Parts: sequence; structure tokens; C-alpha cells
Amino acid sequence: MSQHSDGSGAGTNNASNATDAPDTTSAANAANAANAARDDRLAELMARVARADRAAFEALYRATSATLFGLVLRINRERPQAEEVLQEIYIAVWRQAASFDRQRGQALAWLTALARHRAIDSVRRKAGQPVTISRFGAAGGGGGGGSDGGGGDADEIDLLERLPSDEPGPLDLLDDASRAHALERCMDGLSGEQRSSLALAYYQGLSHAEVAAHLSQPLGTVKSWVRRGLQSLRGCLDRATQRLGRVGRVA
Amino acid sequence: MDYARPERADRLAAEYALGTLRGRARRRFEQLMPAHPALARAAAHWLARLQLFAGQVQPVEPPARVWTGIQARLFGSANDAQADLGSDPAAARRRGGQLRFWRTLSAGAIAAALAMVVLLNRPAPEAAPLVVILRSTPEGGQLVPTGFVASVSADGGALVLKPLAPVSVDAAHALELWAVPKAGAPRSLGLIATGDAPTTVKRAKLLVDTSAFAVSLEPAGGSATGKPTGPIVSAGGI
Repeated sequence: MSQHSDGSGAGTNNASNATDAPDTTSAANAANAANAARDDRLAELMARVARADRAAFEALYRATSATLFGLVLRINRERPQAEEVLQEIYIAVWRQAASFDRQRGQALAWLTALARHRAIDSVRRKAGQPVTISRFGAAGGGGGGGSDGGGGDADEIDLLERLPSDEPGPLDLLDDASRAHALERCMDGLSGEQRSSLALAYYQGLSHAEVAAHLSQPLGTVKSWVRRGLQSLRGCLDRATQRLGRVGRVA
Repeated sequence: MDYARPERADRLAAEYALGTLRGRARRRFEQLMPAHPALARAAAHWLARLQLFAGQVQPVEPPARVWTGIQARLFGSANDAQADLGSDPAAARRRGGQLRFWRTLSAGAIAAALAMVVLLNRPAPEAAPLVVILRSTPEGGQLVPTGFVASVSADGGALVLKPLAPVSVDAAHALELWAVPKAGAPRSLGLIATGDAPTTVKRAKLLVDTSAFAVSLEPAGGSATGKPTGPIVSAGGI
């Protein structure tokens, strides 16, 4: 299903970055500068959108719509619905841009939160549980990952056909993220269940209850996995965002 | 709930950023943020942390009809949207296929037909725009000591609001413009730009059932209830 079946070897090259030592490679510096410049540009566009500047709105759409559409499609896989959600997102951006405060956060993070929340709402609006697919569905023991849908095999097959075979699952994405930001050491401190819970919640937009159903675990257990998982990652994530030069602006 | 307790604020903020804070709980959290800086700060921190996860998701280029739809829904004219796209080479590149051409053409035709219906149903427009002066109210004048001038196009389709002096409000607040009818609840026309920038409102029927325009002081992001919640700082009758 994925090219990331064995991530343990690939990560070792980056392991040295996991320390607090400042990143000295010019490529990394250039990437950080590019990130910071992109954030500034998006924040500037947001400020103009807040003043009802349509040209800025179009520029913002062009700069961010593919990113947000990718995130939405992860959570709501029904294309027509995902397109509708994307429209709602930008309509909300137009109307709520004034509530974005650049002193307090990054524009892309604000947009991402708006997009993910809208996508999550759109799935909730549909009756029943979202059917989820991932390579670690059977992790909880029990009888395989497909026990939560109730729709039977036909639904499962439909969904599987819609899913490109080489598309990474949520846990693959979390592994990628941890490699990209040198978080492996922190991730190693998390149990497999904690990682799975975080990956399902973030990338597929599942609720605690849905993650619990998916992993065949009690709700309370999943809630504490999520909470402890986030707390264990907290310090690492802070160091990584500082390396990216992103959080410095947050008062 | 005691949102001032730092651990609690942090935990809620983490769930907000992760997406596991749902439904009413999330909306309540969003409403509280403007008034609770600690909550807003915690949320911004967690959004920045979890943003590291977002970069791994492959971007997917949305079809051109999404942008056309946004334009049509916000600004009411698929024609304009198409013209905007046509002037942008990147958009032109993205656009493609005869089917889509016909689809947009028919969308444009429908919009034009609708515009015609609106036009025919409207009393003959006067030529000159209507100018309304919004004066500071005794109560609100201390908070935001400026008036505004609103010019409304004769057909009621557009409004430009200019402050008489530069406007400033703190980060936790925003100014919101309202169309006030003779009877019933005011309609929000959106948030007002700060500084001395003019605010443009494009909405058909601005003058239908409107007897005054008013500006209220609201939490950042605007009134969450759809009605003015803060003091009226400025108002003017038509």
C-alpha cells in the first residue's frame, strides 16, 4: 500500500537534527526563509481580504486552495462534497478574514484549521459513521478494521477502489511528518496506539469515538492516548516550529 | 467551565487544533477566544505545532468551477468571475475542456437571466448615489470617536463606507455595519476596515426595507449571534 513500509532506516540520516543545535545547512536556511516569507505573504493577503480586497482574495485562493483541497479530501473523500466544502471554506475566509490576527498566529495554520473543521462538519452532517481505511485498522485485535461501517463488503470494496493503491495512509503521513521535521525520537516515545490515534484524528478528522470504534478500544482509553500523545510531542513540536522560524511571532 | 486555568485552556486548545473538539464545544471555544487571550494564545500555539503534520498531505488542484462558484456565491455574478479568471494566465492554463466551457457559459447565461429578472422587478433607478451620514452616538462616541459617510448606489447594489477620521479598535474587537429596517432585526453588512480605508459592500437590495445604517462595536470576527451585541457607535437615517 505504501512506499513507507520500513521507515526505520530512512530516518537515521535526520536523527542528528533532533537536537536543539541550530540548523546550519544552507538548504534548510533557505527553506526556512521561504516558509517565513510565504507566511508573511499570506498574512498580508489575509489583511487585504479583511478589507474586502477581491484581488487579494483571488491571490490567496490561488496560493492556498490546492493545499486546503488536499486536506479536505483526506477527511471527506466524496469529491462533489469536498468541492462544496472548499467553496464554503473560502466564503468563510472572505467573511472572517478580519478575525485573523497575525500577531497571534500563522495565516496558513488559521486557514488549515478552518478547512479541517469545515471538512469534519461536512462528514458529520452525513448520516452514520464515516468508513475508514488504513493499514493499521486491525491493530486493536478484534476482528479486522472493517467492523465499524455496518455497510458490508460492497461498501468496503467501493471505497478501496476509489482509493489509489499508492496513496499513503494516515500513519504513513505521520511518519513522513516526523521524518521531515526530525521528530523520530519523540515519536519513538509514543506507543503504536497513540500514534494511530493521533494520525486518525488529524488526517482523517475522526472524533475520539470514531477512533475508539476504529481501533476497537474503549473511548476513555483512546481519549487518554490522544491527550498523552499530544503532550509527549509538545516539546518536540515546539523545537521543530522554532527551527522553522514560525512560532517566534506568537506572543 | 474555567477557561482561565492554563492546563485546561491548553488541553482544549490542543483538541481544537487536532479536530477532536466537536460541534457545540468547538463553536463555544471559538466564541470565547476573542475575549480570552490565554485561550487564543494556546490555540495559536497548538495550530502552529500541528501545522507540521499538514505539510505531508499532497495538494490537490481543485477544478475551476470551485472558484467560479465562490465568486458567484459571494459577489453574485458568474460573469464577473469568468472575466476575472480569463484575465489570469495561470487560471486560463488550468481551465480546459469544451465541457467546462459550455458549463460556464450556461452558468453565465443563467446569472444574466437572473440579473434581468432582478432588474425588471426593481423600480427605475435614480441616477445619483444616495449619501448617508453616520454620526457618532453619545454612548459609542467615546469608544470610537468618528463618524462615517456611506454612499449607496442608486440601485441599492453597492455601498462604500468611509470613516471621517482613521478608525482604530483593539485586536479583540471589530466594527460591524448594519442595515436597520423600520421594524425587525438589523441585517449585518459585514465588518468595517480599520484605519482610513473605505469598506465596500456589494449586495443587492441594500435599500429595500432599510431605514438607517448603523455601526456597532463587536467582538473580533463580528457578532456571533447575527444581531448587534455591542454598543452602536455611529448611526444615520436615510
